Amino acid sequence: MEIRPILASLRKHRIPTVLIVLEIALTCAVLCNAVFMIGQRVAAIRLPNAIDERNLSMVTLGGTDEKTSGSDIPRNLAALRGIPGVQSAAVVSTLPLSHNNWGWSFGTRPDASTFDKKTVNFSLFFLGEGAEQALGLRLLEGRFFNADDYAGSSFGSAPLPETHVTLVTRSVAERLWPGQSALGKTYYSMPHYYTVVGVVADVLRPNIGSQGEDWSYYSAFFPLSAGGSKGNLRRYVLHSAPGDRGRVMRAAEQKLAALNPNGVTKGMLYTDMRDQYFADMRSMAWMLVLVCAVMLAVTAFGIVGLTSFWVGQRRRQIGIRRAVGASRGHIMQYFQTENFLLSGAGVVLGMALAYGINLYLMRHYETASMPWYYLPVSAVALWALGQLAVLGPALRAAAVPPVVATRSV
Amino acid sequence: MFDYYLRLALCRCRQNVPMMLLLVLTMAIGIASCMTAMTIFRALSGAPLPGVSPYLHVATMDAREAVDKDNPDYKRPDSLLKLADAKALVDAHRAVQQVAVAQSLTRLGNPDGDTSSQAYGLMAYGPALQTFGVPLRYGRPWTEAEQSSNAPVVVIDTHVAQKLFGTDDAVGRSVTLGQRSFRVIGVIAPWAPRMQIFNLGQNAGGVTGQDENFFVPAQASLDAGVGPFTSGECGKDAPVVSFQSATVAQCRWMETWVRLGTRAQVDAYDRFLAGYANAQHDAGRFAYPPQATLYGTQAWMTLNHVVPDDVHLNLILAGGFLLLCLVNVAGLLAARFLRRQGDVAIRRALGASKRDVFMQHLVETGLLGLAGGVLALPLTWLGLWIVHMQPVSYADAARFSPDTFVVLFALSVAVGLLVGILPAWRVCRQPPALQIKIA
Repeated sequence: MEIRPILASLRKHRIPTVLIVLEIALTCAVLCNAVFMIGQRVAAIRLPNAIDERNLSMVTLGGTDEKTSGSDIPRNLAALRGIPGVQSAAVVSTLPLSHNNWGWSFGTRPDASTFDKKTVNFSLFFLGEGAEQALGLRLLEGRFFNADDYAGSSFGSAPLPETHVTLVTRSVAERLWPGQSALGKTYYSMPHYYTVVGVVADVLRPNIGSQGEDWSYYSAFFPLSAGGSKGNLRRYVLHSAPGDRGRVMRAAEQKLAALNPNGVTKGMLYTDMRDQYFADMRSMAWMLVLVCAVMLAVTAFGIVGLTSFWVGQRRRQIGIRRAVGASRGHIMQYFQTENFLLSGAGVVLGMALAYGINLYLMRHYETASMPWYYLPVSAVALWALGQLAVLGPALRAAAVPPVVATRSV
Repeated sequence: MFDYYLRLALCRCRQNVPMMLLLVLTMAIGIASCMTAMTIFRALSGAPLPGVSPYLHVATMDAREAVDKDNPDYKRPDSLLKLADAKALVDAHRAVQQVAVAQSLTRLGNPDGDTSSQAYGLMAYGPALQTFGVPLRYGRPWTEAEQSSNAPVVVIDTHVAQKLFGTDDAVGRSVTLGQRSFRVIGVIAPWAPRMQIFNLGQNAGGVTGQDENFFVPAQASLDAGVGPFTSGECGKDAPVVSFQSATVAQCRWMETWVRLGTRAQVDAYDRFLAGYANAQHDAGRFAYPPQATLYGTQAWMTLNHVVPDDVHLNLILAGGFLLLCLVNVAGLLAARFLRRQGDVAIRRALGASKRDVFMQHLVETGLLGLAGGVLALPLTWLGLWIVHMQPVSYADAARFSPDTFVVLFALSVAVGLLVGILPAWRVCRQPPALQIKIA
């Protein structure tokens, strides 16, 4: 296919040519970045979390006197376990994706203190008795806490619990002791030390950031007795069949409010909390999808409109070409090649623009670097879109009968 | 001439309805997406307390009293101070008005104990109502004497007053706050900053401001066992402090806000603040060089990313999208105008100047832009409604306001003219003789 006549013709229609190239470039640039942003958000929203998310409801109880928690918590739990449909109930300090984070740094050497640079920051979860079952933690190795572990753990004056046993997630085990079994190993933060009695499947932290996926799973669990909890056990977790959750939660709120007249109660389903945590991301992702779809449609219609105009304008020339021996295929090819060249120019410009926008977003916002393959993939997609859009007008051009050449319009 | 061009434009629009619809719809979608993003952005970027917050500043300094190897560089300015430091700054009376505050969440009850209401409020040291410009409905704010004697007095809003007492004017009544009974000395209208401004360092994604249902002197509240919502920063050796605890003596939990009128006052206060902080460092209390700085409300919000990145990204995206729509419409218009070169050539030959032809085409594109704007109005409303229905932190900001309408009108006409300039210029550049010959 000879492309020189095409170029010559495009040179005659500079303004429409420039506009169509610009349009494809803009679409390519915005599309690359939008699709990349969608992908990042979907990945975050889908992060797995090894607790029984669909069975959990919870009630937070604030404003109670922490001095009497040793008797209040067992009394509250007994009442909650009496609610029909509750399979197990327990109290915990925080939950994954609750925004309520208690972080601390630990090392594997006995002299490690939280001030060392080489330590690893975990999120600490304090569990009341039975919380492993209520949350549905999945044990991979070792054991859960036993009654002695619970009875022997309390808060003293330090911000770490006075106990020596802990459960860690698989990600923590891999990070601290790569390639080894974590069971029986100890981690330290002077003067506290904790020995791993069990490894559980990965549980998300209360806050997940942008420090990478493993980091989101650095969680560790500690037993805590009701009497020694110093007001840190305030989230009551109820495990029930998914269909019972709403009723169980409302009943639990009422019971806790009745038992604790000064308390402030707030109930929520775990799945609602997770949805809320990701609500911004989810709605942003949907909005981006919508924008991409509308943008592609706009571009396609633009191409259809402009090519139709060109076909209409060149009816006579097409007729002449047909009259001197060009087949329908040749005419179709002409318009398809023309669109291919325009899309090519647009895509090259667009890829540069997309890269530039990504650099700008990285500098000013929490955006990661776009993987290189987004560029060629979106280039191919736009090429295909262009060919598809030009198909209708090209077919119409091919249908122009040679006899048009003999008429004066 | 203008109304002739207008009639001509209308006539031409009727000639090719699908094309015209495509043009108008493309413009409308572009304008509507841009307007939706812009409305949210504007709602979140104005002053959080109109008329007041431009003069408000928050004091920040590195007031840590122990070495903290987790964050040795003091990467982010910190506004939290111990009650003692906050008191010292407020008592110095170096600003026009000053107050130290912390957010609290508790239950307010009436004396019979049969009705109670969960309420957010501010624990304050200093004249909080005056500094933040909170309008009083009934009663008065607390006096310095009441504050220094730790008198149990409280100011509530009409919402709580209605709930507890069934009346707005609750002055003189008693409410239970924590373990004590407080006397209501004032009632305010429901009041909230338009955006979060308090305790931004520990803000977990809140964007729109919190209703403050009550204001209470900080020490009286602590005496009653009601502490701040978050305990702030407690030293590593401090006893464990839980959620809403009143044992916060070792914690930094108060923010000091000052009201300053002129640049000179700001500079003077900046110097005073630095002097105070450096004196504490020199006395060995603060472990690090304090780097005391005063932040204006807006700068403080920007620094703490109150407005989520998503809102900015949406605006950039919507801008790019509008640009794409404009290019697209310009291309289609160019095609549309060039198709009529014959008509133009005849008009030119009959004596119309280039300027006349240019104007005629601009009137047509302006009309199309206006039509796009009219269509964009319901689309913008729809877009805002969709965002408002989303469970996102900034959903409250997605409201249609009258000034949106003005901006939209201006934008659509500007868009119509802008996209028309290039094609109109192209079409009037044609030499008439050649065109007549071709036609």
